[in-house]
Amino acid sequence: MGQRPRVTPPSGGSGHLIRDSALGLVPGVVDALIELNSAVWDARVLSPAEIELARLENAQHSGCVICRAVRYDVAIADGLEEGKVAAIQGGEDPLPLSPREQLIQAFVRQFNLDPGHMPDALRDALAEEFTGDELAHLGLLVAYFSASSRGAVALGGMPAEMPRIEVPIPR
Amino acid sequence: MSAGSSQQELLERLPVVGQPFGALRDALWQQAYLPADILALCHQRIAQLHGAKVDEVAPEGLALDPDKLAAVPHWPDDSRFSAQERACLAFTEVYVQDCQALSDDQAEAVKAHFGDAGLVALVQALGVLDSLLRLQLMQGAADIQRQESD
Repeated sequence: MGQRPRVTPPSGGSGHLIRDSALGLVPGVVDALIELNSAVWDARVLSPAEIELARLENAQHSGCVICRAVRYDVAIADGLEEGKVAAIQGGEDPLPLSPREQLIQAFVRQFNLDPGHMPDALRDALAEEFTGDELAHLGLLVAYFSASSRGAVALGGMPAEMPRIEVPIPR
Repeated sequence: MSAGSSQQELLERLPVVGQPFGALRDALWQQAYLPADILALCHQRIAQLHGAKVDEVAPEGLALDPDKLAAVPHWPDDSRFSAQERACLAFTEVYVQDCQALSDDQAEAVKAHFGDAGLVALVQALGVLDSLLRLQLMQGAADIQRQESD
């Protein structure tokens, strides 16, 4: 069963997905949010497909139905395979994640489930596979997506289910 | 990953993302819909729920009641906490542990004092503050002191 929205979005649609949402009720914050969203995707450290896999793994933990349904166009253009998404979401015809992708998934799981007790083996494996900038990017993007997806859940209005949808990055 | 990183140090490792992340965090402290001193209480509670202690519970210059901050673990039973503060702390408790478990009543209790915009500000602030703390914990920050859970 879907949720009822807990807040009313601002009136007078601007045509911007984020500004027209409930987040637009706090103008100074929504501006900063849009800047951060763009920065996460435009950083050119981890690839858009890797960013998307991390975002979707995070959505498994937040329970954000919309987040799970969305596929950003830049990730698709970067070669995101739906079979890899199926591996994360428990969907049909999963493709095996590469060792690098498995580490991204493990990082996101650790962040959500037990951030204070990362096993040494995982820490060492991450340090072996990723550069310092890549780890910094991974941490910040997971932190951002965790906040935004939990925010969507907390503000209500989540549908019970939603079909896959391709969208551009809101800028 | 290195240990001993403050929140600011984490943001500075990749400025292209860290700078706008810090700007979002700062905007949440400065917004006009939810008082910053209440946000500080919530930030304190977030840390306690993780069994940790934050390096800065609020931006420098914000006047906080140290006795009230120290009393946050016992807020349900402490009459010093106002109805506004209780509504936000109750929301924080559930948000941190399972955002899917938040109830309409808990959201309405926050809105009763701060309106729709205040609820949005609280939700976003909890997300940013909790996520940044999780990141610090992931990094094994030496300045995050492990403490006994309440």
